[in-house]
Amino acid sequence: MRILIVEDEALLALELEFEIEAAGHEVVAQAPSYTAAIDVIDRDEPEFAFVDIHLLDGPRGVDVGYYLSQRQIPYVFVSGNVRRIPEDFAGALGAIEKPYTMNGLQNALSYIDDLIKGAPTTAPPPSLVLAPDKRP
Amino acid sequence: MSNDPTSRQGAIDAGDRLLAAHEFDDPFAAAFKATRMPMLITDPRQEDNPIIFCNSAFSRLTGYGIHELIGRNCRFLQGPETDRASIAKIREAIAVEEDVSVDILNYRKDGSSFWNALFISPVRDKSGEVIYFFASQLDFTTVKSREAELARARHFAEEAVAERTKELTDALRAQTLLVHEVDHRVKNNLLTIASITKLHARMSNNDTVRKTLRSVLNRVEALSTVQRKMFTADDVTRFDVADFANELVADLVGSLKRSDIRFTADLHPVHVPAEKASPLALIVNELVGDAVRRGLADGGGEIHLEVRRLNGHFLIRVADTVSPVPVDPEDHAFGQVMLDTCARQVGAQIERSVEGHRTDVRVTLMVGEKAE
Repeated sequence: MRILIVEDEALLALELEFEIEAAGHEVVAQAPSYTAAIDVIDRDEPEFAFVDIHLLDGPRGVDVGYYLSQRQIPYVFVSGNVRRIPEDFAGALGAIEKPYTMNGLQNALSYIDDLIKGAPTTAPPPSLVLAPDKRP
Repeated sequence: MSNDPTSRQGAIDAGDRLLAAHEFDDPFAAAFKATRMPMLITDPRQEDNPIIFCNSAFSRLTGYGIHELIGRNCRFLQGPETDRASIAKIREAIAVEEDVSVDILNYRKDGSSFWNALFISPVRDKSGEVIYFFASQLDFTTVKSREAELARARHFAEEAVAERTKELTDALRAQTLLVHEVDHRVKNNLLTIASITKLHARMSNNDTVRKTLRSVLNRVEALSTVQRKMFTADDVTRFDVADFANELVADLVGSLKRSDIRFTADLHPVHVPAEKASPLALIVNELVGDAVRRGLADGGGEIHLEVRRLNGHFLIRVADTVSPVPVDPEDHAFGQVMLDTCARQVGAQIERSVEGHRTDVRVTLMVGEKAE
């Protein structure tokens, strides 16, 4: 998949990019702000996105989520502040809570992969909180 | 008020007639005159219903001499602060010739005011016609001022409470913001530390460096998980060891991607105070890490996790069955130091038994009443 990373912490974004690529995907861009994310979404049309909530231009990750949702691009939130996520998850598949572990992230990635391809055969890993409508 | 000398004389005459109708030794008249309760009688058949008789108690209450009172309508006791509605109520009762009881603010001759519990009642003759009005007064200023004082005190107290509540609400809001901000930074820093470690491991060609960095990463991530679990719970001062242990093993087993690992668990929530969360989490992490190193990662096997209370103790048990592989002595020694040190910090006992390929480790610690 062609993936967008919306994250304002450059080191976290870089490491996340390595993990995503190790799982066999392509990262089209890293966007540290709402405006940068919107530009990338319009220009590169990613197939999936990881979205942090606190961005350089404020807590606007949820707005990025709504924008992705309107364009029917699946995504997950990646945030240390899951309380800020709306109850309906703003159209997200779920959320990976920070600080995630390497194992937790890898398990979440492979579950998301299965979920997008069709019905996952395994139970969701504890590191991935699914949106209410995605819970098995 | 009636200052007209003729009508005043009429009132005096009416009073005299009334007195004349009662003998000098009439006990009712004597009682009326001598009682400490201020009383008066008015004559509605004369113009403006003047006072025709009043007792000394009324004179003392109002500060007027009796001769100043006779012939006047009672309204002269009213003043600027007298409630208009109370006056209307009295007027109405007199017009319809009924009893009335009113609390009214009246004024003395010297201009000072007093609260008057006024009672007025019509007096009828045999034919039923109202010939007099009888009125009694009771000065309840002390009661009224105590009431006012209480009301004022209550008002001030309520204001103080409202102000204090606002201060506390503001302080709590600031505090909550601060806690969230600090929590956010701690989480980001832990993840940044982990990212730096991973990044270095990723860029190294040296196996030993990579292994060492991953060993550090493993412990940092255990602490990251503690921080995440601590603030996800509603009560940030408590930490559920069972929940942590389950996530740790589930994520580990998931990431090993082996279908030959059987993970079983017997978990019951055991909440410990926040300060014990990190050492206990590291203990669980070392026990599981040890099983992984001894063969779980290489050849699969069984791992059983148990977290529960047992006879007032708190038990963490990790039992595994693996095909043993040689363990790096340095890794083993480091893991052992981590385990022993954390156990010492929380006063935990470690019992380890090995039977064939099966290793069973039980960690027990006393949980104080407060650590419930």
